[in-house]
Amino acid sequence: MSTVTLIHGLNLAAIYGLMAIGISILWSSVGMINMAHGATFAASGYAAWQVSLIAQPLIAAWLGTGLDASIAMGATMIASGLGAGAIFGGLIFLLAYLPIHEKANFAVRSLIVTLAINLATVQLLLYFFGPRQRALPKIFGLGRTEILGIPIRNDQLGTIVATALLMLVVVIWLKRSRKGLEITAMMQNPEGAVLSGISVRWTALPVTMLTGALAGLAAILLSQTVFVSPTAGALPLIKGLTIALLGGLGSIPGAIMGAILIGFLEAIVGSISFLGQRYVLFSQFLFIITVLIIRPRGLGGLLDQTRESRNA
Amino acid sequence: MHEILKIEGLSAGYGPLRVLHEIDFSVQEGERIGLVGLNGHGKSTLMRSVMSLVGWQNGSIRFKGQEIGGARSTGAGRRTHAIVQLGVALTPQGDAIFPGMTVAQHLDCGAHSKLAWRQRAQRRDAVMDIFPPLRKLESALVGTLSGGERRMVSVGRALMTEASLYLIDEPSLGLAPKISKAVLEALFALPKAGKAMVIAEQNVALLAGRVDRMVGMHAGRLRGDVGHVALS
Amino acid sequence: MPEMKKLYEIGNRPREIFLSPDGETPTRRSRVPFTRRHWLKWRSRYNPKSLKLEKRLEDKKPLWWMLSLGLLLLVTPFLGNSALTVASIFCMFAAINVLWTLIIGTAGIFSLATLAVVGVSGYAAAAFNVYLGVPWPFMFVIGCLTGLVAGGVLALPSTRLDGLYFALLTLGIVEICRVFVQQLKSLGATNGSINQVDSFIPSDWFLQREGLLLGFFGAFALLLGALLLFKLVNSERLGMLLQTARDEEAFAEAIGIDYRRARLMVFMISSAGLGIIGAFYAMYYRSISPSIFSLDQLLLLFAMIVIGGIGRADGAVLGTAIVVLIDKGLLDLGPVRILIVAAIMLLVTLLTNNGLVGAREQFRNYRNRKKSEARARRTEKGGEVMPEEATDMPDKQEIFYRRFNKRLRDELKLLITPELIEEHRRKPLGRHSDALSRVLNYFRRSEMPDKYAILRQPENFNHYKIVALSGERGAPPRLVDDRLYESIDEAYHAVFLLRVNDLLES
Repeated sequence: MSTVTLIHGLNLAAIYGLMAIGISILWSSVGMINMAHGATFAASGYAAWQVSLIAQPLIAAWLGTGLDASIAMGATMIASGLGAGAIFGGLIFLLAYLPIHEKANFAVRSLIVTLAINLATVQLLLYFFGPRQRALPKIFGLGRTEILGIPIRNDQLGTIVATALLMLVVVIWLKRSRKGLEITAMMQNPEGAVLSGISVRWTALPVTMLTGALAGLAAILLSQTVFVSPTAGALPLIKGLTIALLGGLGSIPGAIMGAILIGFLEAIVGSISFLGQRYVLFSQFLFIITVLIIRPRGLGGLLDQTRESRNA
Repeated sequence: MHEILKIEGLSAGYGPLRVLHEIDFSVQEGERIGLVGLNGHGKSTLMRSVMSLVGWQNGSIRFKGQEIGGARSTGAGRRTHAIVQLGVALTPQGDAIFPGMTVAQHLDCGAHSKLAWRQRAQRRDAVMDIFPPLRKLESALVGTLSGGERRMVSVGRALMTEASLYLIDEPSLGLAPKISKAVLEALFALPKAGKAMVIAEQNVALLAGRVDRMVGMHAGRLRGDVGHVALS
Repeated sequence: MPEMKKLYEIGNRPREIFLSPDGETPTRRSRVPFTRRHWLKWRSRYNPKSLKLEKRLEDKKPLWWMLSLGLLLLVTPFLGNSALTVASIFCMFAAINVLWTLIIGTAGIFSLATLAVVGVSGYAAAAFNVYLGVPWPFMFVIGCLTGLVAGGVLALPSTRLDGLYFALLTLGIVEICRVFVQQLKSLGATNGSINQVDSFIPSDWFLQREGLLLGFFGAFALLLGALLLFKLVNSERLGMLLQTARDEEAFAEAIGIDYRRARLMVFMISSAGLGIIGAFYAMYYRSISPSIFSLDQLLLLFAMIVIGGIGRADGAVLGTAIVVLIDKGLLDLGPVRILIVAAIMLLVTLLTNNGLVGAREQFRNYRNRKKSEARARRTEKGGEVMPEEATDMPDKQEIFYRRFNKRLRDELKLLITPELIEEHRRKPLGRHSDALSRVLNYFRRSEMPDKYAILRQPENFNHYKIVALSGERGAPPRLVDDRLYESIDEAYHAVFLLRVNDLLES
């Protein structure tokens, strides 16, 4: 395997991982499958694009065109993506969680509501911005950096490092903080959670905002290579969902593992000359379906078992 | 003496079923009360309606002078976390509540106030002094423990944050007599100053002589504490 | 015999459909050919007030179906061309959704690949027609077979994965289909679509008035066929088997129902039906394009069954009507119409439990729940019956019994005085004053459950405890409290006090 393929695979794994982890966390803590994750993706892309339109002249006037300016631009982009994603996450909380979380059949209902949100968002974006694709400014520059003698494109390096850092922060936050513990508690037994002084209604808000922010970051990072468009969220959503499935819905290590597997699969299949890009999606889904038929709970399905043992 | 909990005219139930009938009940500071009665006569419902966890409820519940009751017919559990934060701790009937957590995590869940969360290591230690068998199980999953150990975890969770009113629902349910005695002994050994404890129990003999006051519960009404005719 | 005076019609009665046959002629009911089913569900009973025989139509749904479908068939041919197209599309989508309802509702498999099955079969049928020259009547056969195969492939993972997992997986499968078709080299020139498909509509009629009419009648026949298939599968043997398995899978298995096989059967049958629809789709448009696999199209279809209500054929048709009317009928609105659909979908999901067709039942349940909750707040135990509770009680004697008891208790409460209690304490047995014997008589007549009794302690001859009887055969009495009484008179008096206490509290 050439190093280029390796880096490409890691790059893809990082972006898919961001999507998949968001979906997984939301399922494990709130018990809802967020079909509006793609909409979050697209909306944050557009928000960042809007911000870039406003911020670019401002930053150019203030810092010129040096390294400072590009760092400031990058930071603005990432912050706007995260912020827009978090706000959209809050919106999902208001529409798809708060009114229905006490009603029967919450999983299917929230799925439907988030689907509706997805549908509406795509149409709204189409309505306001038109179907034209937009390019985000390159936040990591265009050059290459050499690490251990391997030349890596700056945007790939930036993506991998940023994602790895953010994931680390998220995982530690979930493991160590009181909020993380509250989220686990809420998932395992809502009534027990309220008896421990945890508000089931409001604990879900940071989770939806966090997963939204992850999708926003994914949008910024993926938009370094692809354009922003109203329907840009569909493919990342489906890939994120299937990877979350592959990893076992709700399992964070499973999602990371699944993202790495799928990322490398894409990179390898894409680099084999007689298969090519055309069979990438095909091979991925075949792989996922095979794994799911052998292990219906995905790579790490432990969590679901605890969920069931509670219901039993 | 100071009144911690005062219930007036409390009725509660689930849907068409009315479980509690106009209950008046009060708990003084430093009191340890046994709430006895058979299955299905409303002991658990009384405790749960203090926590605002029943289907519907009516009537006033005052905790340290603050109203936590009132008429409510939907949204069971919406106010519960706030009541817990005021200082009421309930260990629900049956087993420990988070089967997929380790004992340490489960205990941490009880540390809901900021202060308790900062001191959670010491507090865990204190709980383990009360229930020594838990010490060596610290990283075991709660779902894998025996019934007695789970009950200890469940009670221990309630002890993690300082509460002024402990509601313990059937600590002996489904346990071997020796173990249920041990759990109750640990509860009786807790300091009483400034706090109160209500223990719901079916087995009168377990509480006899160990509580300050025994209140009977029958068909959704209290017995022996309030009554129109003295029973002597 | 004098005529009975006219009864007041209250409750649901004015809305029911009644026949009043004379009791002499025997009832005749015709059956659906080749089955044992009747056309309409008439139920006979005697009116308890007038003692007249009346026949009530238990299930009014067939009438609604006849009315709406008949109206559609009669009115549509007189509409303009665009409305005709909308009606045809409605029929086609309604057929798809009815079969989808069969998969989600009856079989309980949450598949989102329905449109993919339609598309794959459409593509196969079109390809056979265009590239191999198969004449159009055989396209239905090819579509049906392709649908069967596609259904089989999809059904494979459905046995292993549960609910939402399978749904997400099928979403991936739809995406594969789209990408695959778009990247087929042989279709590259037309951007993935197959055009110039032969059709049941003659080519010089295509997009003309005659062609549109023929297309509409074809689509209508398709919808009728789908509804018939739904009826045959859902309310006959397969559907019944699955209905038992819906709530309690383990129990169904234990009584010998192979629900997995039944599920697969339903899935395959409806996939085959979807295949036929796919072939029809390709013929109707004379072409088929990858847009049938797009996520938006799928979402729109999903919106239809969600708005109508998942699991019911009338829901599927109603939802389709609403969404198609908005989506195809209000073309001037542009992207806003999708927003309207999304908003309706959102509202319906947030507010109702099962779509619009379930709203009525949901409202009734809600009203009943609130009513009974309010009643439970008001009534005291064993007290007088509230009026709205009385309408629900089949045995009206119970109402009078409870009213009598309440008055009696009110009366007796006044009799209880400290002197009376003192009298009983002095002399529990023997002759009593009038008041005391009234009270005691009431106590003796009380019901068995929770009646108090005195238990002599086995170890000590003169020690007694008070127990309460369970009122159930086999269930032992329980101790009331652990107080010990040294003499039988003392125990008698304690029982008396308990009773008095109960009386005063009630």
